[in-house]
Amino acid sequence: MRRILAFVGLLGLFSCETEITDFKTENLSDAVVVYGEMTNQAGPYTVRLNYTSGYSPFDATQFQGESIPGADVRIVEESGSAIVLKEIQKGMYQTPASFQGQVGKKYRLKIMTPNGLDIASNWQELSAPTELKTLNSKYVNAGKVEDMYFEIQASLQDTRGSDDYYFIKRQDFIQFLTTCPTPPAPPAPVPICYSKCWQAVQNTQPILMDDAFLDGREIKVPLAAIPYDDFTEWFVQLEVYHVDKATHQYWKRQEDQRTLGGGIFDKVPAQIIGNLTCLNNPDRQVLGYFMVAGKTKKRVLVDRYNGIPGESYQKLVNLVNFKKLRYQDSPLWDCRQAAWVPYNIGLNLPVY
Amino acid sequence: MRYVVLVVLLMISCATFGQKRGYFIFSGTIQDLETKAPLEGASVLFSGLSIGARTDSSGHFSLTLPSRSYQMVFRSLGYKFKTGRIDLKENANMTVYLEKAEQILDEVVISAEKSEANVNRTIMGVEKMSSKTLKKLPNLMGEADVIRSIMLLPGVSTVGEGASGFNVRGGNVDQNLVLLDGVPLFNTSHLFGFFTGFNADMVQDLSLYKGGIPSMYGGRASSVLDVRVKEGNFDTWGIQGGVGPISSRLLVDGPLVKGKTSLILGARGSISDFYLGYFPNPALKKSKADFYDVNFKLTHKLNENQRISLSGYISHDEFKFASDTLYSWQTQSLSFKHNALWGNLSHNFTAFVSDYQYGIEGMKKGLEFDWKPSIKQQTVREDLSLDLKGKGRMDFGAEFNQYQNDAGTFRPTSTSSEVNEFPMQVENSREMAIYVGHSLPIGKRISLDYGLRYAYFQLLGPLQTYQYRLGTPRTLNSLTDTLRYVSSDVIQSYGGLEPRVSLAVKLDSSTSVKLGFNRMQQFMHLLSNTMAISPVDIWKNSNAYLPQQVADQFSMGVFKNFTNAQNAVFEASAEFYYKRLSNVIDYVDGAALYLNPTVETELVVGKGRAYGAEFFLKKARGLRLTGWVSYTYARSFRQVSATEGQNAANFGKEFPANFDMPHNFKFVLNNRLTKRISFNSNFTFTSGRPITYPNGRYKIYAFNDLYDYGYANGIFPRPGLTPTTYQYGGSNNTFLTSTTIRPLLDGYSSPSFTLRNQERIPFYMRLDIGFTIEPKEGKRWQGSWNFSVYNILSRQNVYSIFFRSSTGLINQARTYQFSVLGAAIPSVTYNFKF
Repeated sequence: MRRILAFVGLLGLFSCETEITDFKTENLSDAVVVYGEMTNQAGPYTVRLNYTSGYSPFDATQFQGESIPGADVRIVEESGSAIVLKEIQKGMYQTPASFQGQVGKKYRLKIMTPNGLDIASNWQELSAPTELKTLNSKYVNAGKVEDMYFEIQASLQDTRGSDDYYFIKRQDFIQFLTTCPTPPAPPAPVPICYSKCWQAVQNTQPILMDDAFLDGREIKVPLAAIPYDDFTEWFVQLEVYHVDKATHQYWKRQEDQRTLGGGIFDKVPAQIIGNLTCLNNPDRQVLGYFMVAGKTKKRVLVDRYNGIPGESYQKLVNLVNFKKLRYQDSPLWDCRQAAWVPYNIGLNLPVY
Repeated sequence: MRYVVLVVLLMISCATFGQKRGYFIFSGTIQDLETKAPLEGASVLFSGLSIGARTDSSGHFSLTLPSRSYQMVFRSLGYKFKTGRIDLKENANMTVYLEKAEQILDEVVISAEKSEANVNRTIMGVEKMSSKTLKKLPNLMGEADVIRSIMLLPGVSTVGEGASGFNVRGGNVDQNLVLLDGVPLFNTSHLFGFFTGFNADMVQDLSLYKGGIPSMYGGRASSVLDVRVKEGNFDTWGIQGGVGPISSRLLVDGPLVKGKTSLILGARGSISDFYLGYFPNPALKKSKADFYDVNFKLTHKLNENQRISLSGYISHDEFKFASDTLYSWQTQSLSFKHNALWGNLSHNFTAFVSDYQYGIEGMKKGLEFDWKPSIKQQTVREDLSLDLKGKGRMDFGAEFNQYQNDAGTFRPTSTSSEVNEFPMQVENSREMAIYVGHSLPIGKRISLDYGLRYAYFQLLGPLQTYQYRLGTPRTLNSLTDTLRYVSSDVIQSYGGLEPRVSLAVKLDSSTSVKLGFNRMQQFMHLLSNTMAISPVDIWKNSNAYLPQQVADQFSMGVFKNFTNAQNAVFEASAEFYYKRLSNVIDYVDGAALYLNPTVETELVVGKGRAYGAEFFLKKARGLRLTGWVSYTYARSFRQVSATEGQNAANFGKEFPANFDMPHNFKFVLNNRLTKRISFNSNFTFTSGRPITYPNGRYKIYAFNDLYDYGYANGIFPRPGLTPTTYQYGGSNNTFLTSTTIRPLLDGYSSPSFTLRNQERIPFYMRLDIGFTIEPKEGKRWQGSWNFSVYNILSRQNVYSIFFRSSTGLINQARTYQFSVLGAAIPSVTYNFKF
């Protein structure tokens, strides 16, 4: 709506958005933040506990909330059996690898913090997972290389007669190439050069979908395109969580709040409470969510090398050289050492 | 039907009431000498009598007087007064023509009535503005604008530039009854609220009732804005219009049958689409910002004391910003009126139909849809006014309203569209009211206006409603039953009395003290959980879960007029009010209101209170300089009880309403520099509106699979190399240094909010100036120019402050402010008339 207001503000000529750089607040909340997931796929499942932090854009100490170590964390089945999570890092708790969620069963998270807060989630039923019906890519040509791209197409086949909600995570894996140094003069042996590695930039943007007005139809998943700015391989991975309405609403509210535009048609902001409460102190806020859902995972390879028109490919080669995408100025024998590439995960993709 | 019978009985009894020996009815019409247009608010004073008469919107007056000779004075602002004499021995009727005052003296700023009216009138909290004043105020983009103009009055505010509607004395936007020639408007805006939805050229005058609301008005809880539309000229044809940067206007009026039948037709249309096509930006090229409105009024005089009229109004908006979604809203109405003066009884019959449609059209390929809710209203009302011969005036009447409120079915609009139809229901309801009011002078110093209105509402079948488990919050999980009603069923009824009392005590000829109380009820509610209402917000009838909103207002005021040595007239007043609101609607956090068949699960009902003091000083008449200055201190609060399992706003504690802006300072100045050139300016200062600030931030670690994978498999941490640059010999040299590859834990960043509306955005301040060059006299073609600069201080008034979380460790907690009109906006408008 802010765009609309700005537009009407005489076609945007008179409106302006400025950043307030000196705004910050101390952390005035003592809320506990919990986040954990469990699915029908093999574990281990992780739960993290921490506190809120101050609202300050440039204070590095406030980037992460303080962890809560030493808690007793367990996942309880409706039959009464419980799985105890082990603290493997400060504030990070994990189930045994052998524990796996089962479709149709109900689970809840129970936490006892060292300072005596008894926290529990609602009972959550593990829903049947929904498979992606399609996941593929399509090259779209253009006159300028900056305008060429790969359209990523994915769809779900919705089940007729039920209200279905989906929470989707997208993770991209992008191959990058480095330049090997000049070999030493003979007779010194030529070292092995590893120049093909993968980077996987973290994406914290959920894709939220539901079948409102589309019940029983094939529903397209809105996915951002991939640029044709290099000819290395690119994998797109989607994890589809078939969630309940409350979980979907929780994330929808998070997204609404995150994407506030500043217009007065924005909803009034408010604290978003998930499915966790403090049983022995109801006034103590518990933020976050314990998400239980059926999950499927799929990857597609976007081949940015084969099947491209020759003329377009040549334009790209020129661009790659011009932008020095092979890091010619920083030659390496082993691309795993390229610390300047964010989320450089090395030679191999994570196990599927 | 019983109301119709009651009205007829009242009419018969009152008509006979006036015939008494020794008294006769003296009635007449006061008109403009040149145009023959009726003059509303003109006064007739009689020698030896403390009472006088005032003309109504048709220029009529009537009163019963003892039989004797009288010296009379006829006066109207902007006209030369006229004297006359009558020897009253029988009922008499006369038409009086007043000539326009030509001198530049006594320029009037804001009044449709004589300047001492504010002291003499019994009711308070009333503001009147003539079309002449309206057009002289500096404007935004060349558009004289009704609602933007009333924002300059004390007690009226808005949440920000571009917000639709206005707030009066701590009331919500939907609590204002806006009447365009007697027809209520559900949406008063063009372009989302930047401009008023009707043409200022068509406006005869407007009255804003903030406090002492006469018993003839009802249906909204806070205020009444009664806008009267002009009648056409009965003698000559005329054309006037204007060309401005946003829209152009044309108005034609004249006699269809000379002296008998007149027509006035006004049209206004935006020209922004014309500009958009020339913008190089492809997003703007694909955008749309159309609006137009058309008014007409056909008036026929059946005889000197009786006339009928037929009026129509169409307003239409379409808006699309590059995207595939088109917003639209439109109002259509047609009304019939019959006015008559039968002896000392004035009769006004009104019947109208109106249709307000709003909604969204989706045009994305394969997902084409439309969603068009609407409200159809059919109304008949009879308003009668009886002159009680020195014992004041009695007003009484009845109205009957029928509503069809369609929540809008979501439909695919093409055969290739993949969306399913989602039906929503049509709610039928009716609202009836009967009222009586009496204006009673008690001696020479005291006057009393008291009245009573009874309003009754019924929600009717056919309809499907839902029942929820008692004692628990309404949610889908607590839904216990579905009830189906047929068309003859009355599903829910609400009713109540609305007392209205005003008392004025005159301390001397120029000073009065007034007290007032009034109650208003509202049976239709606008559902909106955004900062300001949007044009596609839905209206909802009262039902089992939404009782009528009730507002009780107590007020008192002191009014004082004085003149200086140059005979300039000043009006001063101080008014104080306290308003109590019950059954105001609030929303569960994150409520989804559109296309929700169980929308009651998202609504909670609470209470509110508002109080304030309004100080007003107006120079109503002056040789050159006129204007006013006002300061208002006003507060408005809401409180919604928390229910278990639902997060009611502010945890059940009282919080400031979104439009709670305590300090308001305004001045309006009109300086007539020469006979043809006048300088106008207005200045507004208001406290910032409330806003909810975060009290912290937190991370949801929902996207850490790779982080966990990396650390679990020994990928992180690991040794790596990073480029370092140094300068040597005038060139940059890069080499690699050792480092550790160790990604930091990051997550979905979210602000943590606490109590609602506890902070404020910065204050709002704006100065506008304008020059008006009037046409030369005596020329047939009369062209005038208006040059305005809106926000000449170029102040970037903050419209909102918002908190945008984003991913990444550094750019994750940014705060922004947004200004809609952050620069001075000049405009030129040319108006013509011939």
